[in-house]
Amino acid sequence: MLHFKVSDREQISAIGTFLTLVLALTAGMVVIGLIFLLCGVNPFFAFKKIFSGSFGSVFGFKETITKAIPLILIGGGLALAFKAKFWNIGAESQLLMGAIFGTWVGLHWGPVLPSPVIVPLMFVAGFIGGALWGLIPAILKIRFAINEVISTLMLNYICAEFLILLIVGPWKSKKKFGFPYTDDLPDSAILSLLPGSRIHTATLILAVVAVVVLAIVIYKTRFGYEVRVIGENPDAAKYAGIDFTRTTLLIMAISGGMAGLAGIGEVAGIHHYLSYPDSISSGYGFTAIIVAWLAKLNPLYVIFSGIFFSGILVGGDAIQISLGLPAATVDVFNGTLLFFLIMGDFFTKNKIRVLSGERA
Amino acid sequence: MRGRKNWRRRFVWILFCAVLLTIFGAGVGIAAEKQLKAGFVYVGPVGDYGWSHAHDAGRKYAEKQLPWLKTVYIESVAEADSARIIDRFIQEEKCDVVFTTSFGYMDDTIKAGAKYPDKHFMHCSGFKQAKNVGTYFADLYQTYYLNGLMAGGLTKSNKIGYVAAFPIPELVRHINAFALGIKAVNPKAEVHVRWTYAWYGPDKAREAAEALIAEGCDALAFTEDTPAVIEVGQEHTEKGKQIYTFSHYSPMQPYGKDSVVSGQLVDWGVMYEKILKDLYEGTWKSDDQWWLVAEKAAILGGSFSEPINPKFADELKAVTVKTKDFKALSVYDLIFKRYEQMKKGSDVFDPYMGPISDNTGMLQIKAGEKASKGELLSIMYYADNVVGSIPK
Repeated sequence: MLHFKVSDREQISAIGTFLTLVLALTAGMVVIGLIFLLCGVNPFFAFKKIFSGSFGSVFGFKETITKAIPLILIGGGLALAFKAKFWNIGAESQLLMGAIFGTWVGLHWGPVLPSPVIVPLMFVAGFIGGALWGLIPAILKIRFAINEVISTLMLNYICAEFLILLIVGPWKSKKKFGFPYTDDLPDSAILSLLPGSRIHTATLILAVVAVVVLAIVIYKTRFGYEVRVIGENPDAAKYAGIDFTRTTLLIMAISGGMAGLAGIGEVAGIHHYLSYPDSISSGYGFTAIIVAWLAKLNPLYVIFSGIFFSGILVGGDAIQISLGLPAATVDVFNGTLLFFLIMGDFFTKNKIRVLSGERA
Repeated sequence: MRGRKNWRRRFVWILFCAVLLTIFGAGVGIAAEKQLKAGFVYVGPVGDYGWSHAHDAGRKYAEKQLPWLKTVYIESVAEADSARIIDRFIQEEKCDVVFTTSFGYMDDTIKAGAKYPDKHFMHCSGFKQAKNVGTYFADLYQTYYLNGLMAGGLTKSNKIGYVAAFPIPELVRHINAFALGIKAVNPKAEVHVRWTYAWYGPDKAREAAEALIAEGCDALAFTEDTPAVIEVGQEHTEKGKQIYTFSHYSPMQPYGKDSVVSGQLVDWGVMYEKILKDLYEGTWKSDDQWWLVAEKAAILGGSFSEPINPKFADELKAVTVKTKDFKALSVYDLIFKRYEQMKKGSDVFDPYMGPISDNTGMLQIKAGEKASKGELLSIMYYADNVVGSIPK
């Protein structure tokens, strides 16, 4: 009888990791190609459309960068949390909470404060909002050992309902014909765009700086070391005297805070007012999970994987319009890639031997 | 000899010019048969059973009617992404006109109008226009009134329920028109409203419908994008308790053949055909196209083949009602008389003819006056037979 024996790999080589990544991406693309074939579309043509739609034209590229901003911010934060094996599935709501906090500051003090004061204030508020919302599952895990996958996921719904409560209730604008939107942010609180695009430069710079700093923190500081130890061996971390509570709280404050920055960036840069949750976020919190995985949980690589996945989202429009494929195609695309990336990760970390004969 | 040679040369030249002219002329002829390319942006999937589905049916209809029309569409576009999609339609797909079919696309559509002054934009359900940006909407309030006449005639408990998605003027306008119809037939009946805060929320709509029935309502209308309310009505009816329901937007009668009395249907096709024709012929101008029963955009019925489910015809014929203009007649006859009037135009008959008071006793529309379009677009009070108050 055949059976498999899974054991840890003692040595993980950089080249091996890279090759697995390439292999996982290729295998994912092949499966996606088969799905395209089943839909009656030439896969090569579809891939060409996706990537020429997002990277092949100036227009497409500008949009790709616009969408990459929140993905980079959130992906960086998630990379940190995932490094410590804290499965934060709640970036979607941490983004919304950041948007709520930041918008409140913008609406209340925007009319009286000049732009150079109000914009940083809004980002600080956005970070705090996301961080506070991220701390809840951390506390639940530390104090009551509640699985963070469940708590972060559930908090997404709570926050979405809370946002709806605000926009149909106390924050509803009196100037929008009864529609459930807040007032527009005042001009001083609105981010300036790169001319001819929708790229809000302030958030873009913030995103790049944040992930660079985060990479330094993870790989060059004591805190980063603690994060990695907790992730790789929590028992060893305990014996080494690493403060699990403090580190976990910090991780989730940063991870949630980064998503919060993305949230206020989207509102101040693109929407200019709060509206329905799915309109404020369009699923960035979930897409960023794949972004973090593709970057091998290194915040620096998140810049590239963020742009890559943003390209798929933007290119998704192109295949929808020109090939008439349903909107869900992009989700299938992303889901399939994540599946193979995680599988690749498993094979990098574990050795699998096929044994025959009786089970020992 | 020389003259002759000259003549031959001239002949060749004339021939050459003639051929050239023919080719050129044909080219001009082809160019004159110009094409128009239209892009459609949908907020939901085209497979939903409401809004986006109806718009897509309209797009397909227009494409069939107009040989010079080419269309492209994109579904499930978040409000935040509409600017990008419009850019793509104009820059990459070379569309001449873009239809944006959700209220939330309004500001991006206006901005696109300024960015592409030589292209045209049509925004559905908004209130902002520009030189090259028009708005359009097919409103169903008149058909809700006709449904109200039916509900008022059929109800036994004098409690009628309404499941509504969001407290915005469009829905309040529907609720009031429905309530005014009920009042015209049955002044004792009152309307109870439940809000679900979701356009697509079958679970919430189901819950709201069950709650209304538990409260004693035996007729239900709704404004949201699923047949959930009808399914609840059908289930109760099958168990022996007759619940009357009214289908919304799409022909939902098949979901409740024993429960659906009638409903409101929309036909965007005729509207898209008209708008695109105007654009093609150069007679388009920026304004607000607000289409009602008279323009054939709003249709009465739970299915396109019959305005009233024949199952309920006898019941409606048995109820008599007194009116000022038609004296005493059956509710059934009144419905069709009013429908005919609406087809002639909203100045012949309109549900929002005063006097209309809100449910706090304030007179909102004076006797003999008809609500203006502006008043209808911003209406935020309940008619006097609706219970409760609009969530603030």
